[in-house]
Amino acid sequence: MSLDVRRKSPVPREDMLPWTDGEGAGKRAQQPPRKGRPRIGGYLLMLLAVAAMVLPLVWMLLASFKQRDEIYTVPIQWVPESFALSNYVGALAAVPFGNFFINSLITTVVGATLKITLGLTTAYAVVFLEFPFKKFVFGLVVFALLVPQQIVIIPNYTLISDLGWINTYQGLILPGLASAFGTFLFRQHFLTLPVSILEAAALDGASHWTRLWRFVVPISAPTIAAVALVSIVSEWNEYLWPLLVVDKAEMMTLPVGLTLLQNNDGVTNWGVLMAGTVLITVPVLIVFFLLQRRIVTGLTSGAVTG
Amino acid sequence: MTASPFANLNRRQLLQLAALVGGSAALAACGGPAVGQAGGAATETATDWASVTPAKEITWWSNHPGTSKDIESEIIKRFTAESGIKVNLVTAGANYDEVAQKFQAASGSSNVPDLVIASDVWWFRYMINGQILPLDQLAKHLEFDTEDFNSTLYGDYEFSASHWAVPYARSTPLFYYNKAVWEKAGLPDRAPKTWAEFDEWAPKIQATTEITPLGLGKGTSWSAWWFCNMLWGAGGAYSKDWAMTLDTPEALEAAKYLQTIIYDNKSAAVTAKDQVADFGAGLTGCTIASTGSLSGILASSKFDVGTGFLPEGAKGPACPTGGTGLAIPADKTPEQQLAAGMFLKFLTNAENTAYFSSNTGYMPVRTSALEGETMKAVYAKTPQFRTAVDQLAGTRVQDWGRVFVPNGDKDLTTALEKIMLQKGDPAEAFATAATSITKSYEENVLPYL
Amino acid sequence: MPRPTPGEQDQNPVVQRKRRTPWKSWLLFLLFAGPNVALLVIFTYKPLVQSLQYSLLQWNIGSATARFIGLDNYVNWFTDPATANVVRVTVIFTLVTVVGGMVLGLSLALLLNRKLRGTGMARTVVVAPYVLSGVAVGLLWLFVFDPNFGVLGAVLKSVGLGSPDWYNDPAWALPMIIVVYLWKNVGYVALIYLAALQAVPKDLIEAATLDGAGPFANFRNVVLPLLGPTTFFLSVTTLLSSLQSFDIIQAMTKGGPLEGTTTMMYQIYQEGFATGRAGYSSAIATVLFFVLLVVTAVQMLFIQKKVHY
Repeated sequence: MSLDVRRKSPVPREDMLPWTDGEGAGKRAQQPPRKGRPRIGGYLLMLLAVAAMVLPLVWMLLASFKQRDEIYTVPIQWVPESFALSNYVGALAAVPFGNFFINSLITTVVGATLKITLGLTTAYAVVFLEFPFKKFVFGLVVFALLVPQQIVIIPNYTLISDLGWINTYQGLILPGLASAFGTFLFRQHFLTLPVSILEAAALDGASHWTRLWRFVVPISAPTIAAVALVSIVSEWNEYLWPLLVVDKAEMMTLPVGLTLLQNNDGVTNWGVLMAGTVLITVPVLIVFFLLQRRIVTGLTSGAVTG
Repeated sequence: MTASPFANLNRRQLLQLAALVGGSAALAACGGPAVGQAGGAATETATDWASVTPAKEITWWSNHPGTSKDIESEIIKRFTAESGIKVNLVTAGANYDEVAQKFQAASGSSNVPDLVIASDVWWFRYMINGQILPLDQLAKHLEFDTEDFNSTLYGDYEFSASHWAVPYARSTPLFYYNKAVWEKAGLPDRAPKTWAEFDEWAPKIQATTEITPLGLGKGTSWSAWWFCNMLWGAGGAYSKDWAMTLDTPEALEAAKYLQTIIYDNKSAAVTAKDQVADFGAGLTGCTIASTGSLSGILASSKFDVGTGFLPEGAKGPACPTGGTGLAIPADKTPEQQLAAGMFLKFLTNAENTAYFSSNTGYMPVRTSALEGETMKAVYAKTPQFRTAVDQLAGTRVQDWGRVFVPNGDKDLTTALEKIMLQKGDPAEAFATAATSITKSYEENVLPYL
Repeated sequence: MPRPTPGEQDQNPVVQRKRRTPWKSWLLFLLFAGPNVALLVIFTYKPLVQSLQYSLLQWNIGSATARFIGLDNYVNWFTDPATANVVRVTVIFTLVTVVGGMVLGLSLALLLNRKLRGTGMARTVVVAPYVLSGVAVGLLWLFVFDPNFGVLGAVLKSVGLGSPDWYNDPAWALPMIIVVYLWKNVGYVALIYLAALQAVPKDLIEAATLDGAGPFANFRNVVLPLLGPTTFFLSVTTLLSSLQSFDIIQAMTKGGPLEGTTTMMYQIYQEGFATGRAGYSSAIATVLFFVLLVVTAVQMLFIQKKVHY
C-alpha cells in the first residue's frame, strides 16, 4: 500500500504563508478592486466567524470569576459581580498547576522535537538513501496512521509498567514518539525538492547528515512548521495516555490535572473548573498568537536562505 | 539526538522485536493474560499474620472523595506518628472509575498499590479478577471490631462468606427540599413520608409556583441508584442473587409510577443537565441527591434547605447505599498487606471515620461514631446532616444485577432513560436490560466464580 | 504515470556518484530510519498484534487469566442490538465532521483569502481553538450548552425560543458534539486550504475572469481542481482524527444520553476500561481498524481516479 498519490506536497510552500496579512507576503497578486456590497458582506461574515470562535472563550473567562450562586442562577447573570481571583486561588490551591505546566512543557518540547527529527531522518532515508526495502519501510511507517490509539493502549501500558516507567517522562513520551504523519508529509515534500542542490552538496563531499540539516531542512521550513504545529498541539493536548501512565499529581500534564477539579459525588464548582480551564487555555493561546508572527518571519527567512 | 533506541533495549525486548519481525506467535507470552488457566477470586491464604512484620512503607491509591486530600493526609500523618509506617498517598484519578481503570490496567505489573479505592460497582470485579484479598482473617488478627461497622455498609462487600473491602467514603441518596417553596405551598416543614403523600403535595406546589415540584437526575451510576428507592419501595428488585427480576409486576409498577409523575402529573421532570444545580437555583422544589452533595447544596442555594428520608413506597421505606470502600490488593507481600491492614483499621476507626465524615459529608461507617463528640458538633452546625445519618439505619444492600455484573448499571441506566426521557414501554425497556445483563453475567462473571 | 523521483531511480546522480558498499548503505539507512521504525514496531505494531490476540479471548481487564473463545466477541458485537446504533452514530459523526468540516473550512479559507482588513487577525482567531485541549474545550462548551445556566439557552430564550434538551435528547446531543468538534477543528482545515489557495496563481484566476467566467464558475473550474491534492490530504487526515476522537465526548456526554453519542471509538474505550471487557473491546477495535483500512483504500482509489494534477 502506498499513499503516494501525488507528487505535489499538499502543504504550504514558502509562498503560501498561511498567516501573512498581505503586507508580509509580498507575492500576492493584485486582485481586481472590488467595492461596495461584497466587501460589507465579507466583513460581516468574517465578524460572524470571529465571534463564533471568540464568544465561547469569553463566556469561559467570565464564568471563571463567578461564584457558585452567580453561575447557578436563572435568568443567567452575564457579568460577574467582582473580578476577584478567588476561583483561581481555589484552583491553584486544589491542584499543583505549576507542576502540570512544567510537565506539559517538557513532554511537548522534548516529544515534538524528537518526533519532528525522527520524521525528517526517516523521510530523508526513504527519499535519498539507497536501500532495497525502502518502499516497504515507508509503507510500514505510514500504515501506522491507521492504527487507532485505543487499540494499543493496554499492551503499551503493560510494557511501560514492566519497564518501571510509570510516572516518568520517558513513559509519557516514548509510546507516542514515532512519526508517521510527519514522515509522510516530509517525504511528499522532499520529492518536490530540486535534485541539483543535493547534487552540489554531494560533490562538496557533505555527508548525508550534513545534507539533511544544512541543505534539506532550511528549504523545508514551511512543511516543518506545519508538522511542528500539529505535533505540538497533539502532544500538549494528549489526554488518555497520560491519564493512565501517571498516577502522581506531581507528574500529571495539564489536561489530566484539569479533570481533577471536577468533583464526584458533589456539586461541580464551575467557577473553579472554568478558572482551571482558563489557566490551561490562555497560555496556549498567548503562545500561539505570539508564535504565529514568529512562524511567519521564520518561514520567510528560511525561504530566503534556501 | 537520534541515537539508536536499540541501545536502551534489554534482551527481552530485543527478543520480542525479533519475534515480531519473524511473525512469530510467541508474542502471546509477553504481557496480557494467561490463556486457558483457571481464573477467579483470590483465596484466603493461610497466612499466619502473627508471624509477619509489617512493611515500613505502603502506597494508597485514592481519588480523595469529596475533595478530601487534606483530610486523608492528616489521618496519614497521625498514623505515621503512631505506627512509624509511611503511607504514600497517590491521586490515582478524578473519580472511582478512573482509579478502577488504572488499577485494572496495572494488574500484574509492578505498579500495584497496597491499598486501593474500591467503589460499590467496582470491588466485585476486582474480586472476580483475583485482584484483591479477602479481609476477614486479617481483620480478625488486627481486631478490626467489624461488628461495629454499619451492617449494610460492611455487608455490601460480602460475597461467598468473605468480606473483600471495608467501608470508607459512603453515601446514600437523600431527599432535599426548598423550604421557601414548601412554605408558599402551605406544606409542613418535612419531606413527604411516602410517594403517595408526595402525590398529594405536588399539586399544591404546582398551584402556588411556576416550578416543577421534583427534579430527577440521570446518567450512569446515578439513575439506577436512586431508582432503587422506588423499585424496592414497590416491592420489586433489579435481581434476586443473579436472576434478573425486572419482569415482576412490582418492578413494572415502579417504572409506571415514574412515568406517571413525569408525564401525567407533571410533578417531576428529568433535569436538563444537573439536578443539584437546578435545585440550588430554585428551578425545582425538591430533588433526590447524594448525601455527598449536602455541603455543595448548602453553599450554592440562596434559600433554606430541608432534608428528609427518601419517600416510602407501598411496601415501606427503601434506600440504597453507595460510595466507596477500600481494598487490599492480593498480589502484594504479606508484610505490605499487613501494613495496609493496620492503616485500614486506623483510617476507619471511630475517631477517624467521624473526622473524615465531618469534613466531607460522607457517612460515618461505624455505629459507635454516630453519637460521638465529633458528629454531635456536626449535627449542631448542620442539622440536615442528622437526617442523612439517621436514614442509614434503614438502608439495604444493593442488588447484584446492578453492581456486580459488568455493564449492569449501564444497561439499567439505558432502560431507565428510555422510560424517563422517551416514555418507552417499561416492560420492553426492562426486558432488553435483563437480557443484556444476564448475558453479561454468563460471559463475564459466571466463568470466574 | 508517476514521473521519476529523486532517490528512487538508479540513474540518480546523487546516489550513483558515491556507490557505497551494501552494508554501509544499510547501516546508514538503519541510522536514519531505524529509530522511527523501531518505535513503531514496539509501540504500534506489537501492541496491534497483541490486541488481535486479545480479541479472541474472553478477558476482563485486570484479570490475570482469560479464556480462548474464538470469534465469539465478533459474533456478539455484530449480533448485539446496540451495535446498529453505534454504527449509525459513528457514521453520522464521521460524515458530518469530515464533509461538513471540509466545506466549512474551505468557505472560511475563501473568506479569509479575500483582501479585507483584519484577515490576518481573523485567521489567527479561527485557528486558535485547534490548539486547545479537547478536554478543556469539552468542559467549556458543556457550560455553554447547559439549557438552564448556559449562554446558548439564554440567547435562544431572548429571541423567544426554548433551548433544546441537549443532554437528554439523543437527537440533539449528537449535533451538539459535532458542533463542538467542528468548532475546535475547522480552523485546521481552513488553515491548510488557505495555504493552498495562496499558491493558486492569481493570473489563472484573472485569465478565467477575463474569459468572462463568473466567480462561481471560476471557482468550480479553476480553483477547486487545483485544490484537489489538498482536499485529498485533508479528507484522509480529518477522517482519521474524526474516527479516533474521544476527549470531547468523554468531557461532555460520556456517550449518552441513551448512547446517542457513543461512537465506535468511544465504545472501545467504554467496553475496555469502564466495563472492563478487554477482549470484546479489542474485537471492536479490530473491526474499526479494518474499517479504517477499507475506507482509506477506497478514498485513495477514488481520488486517484478523480483528481489529476
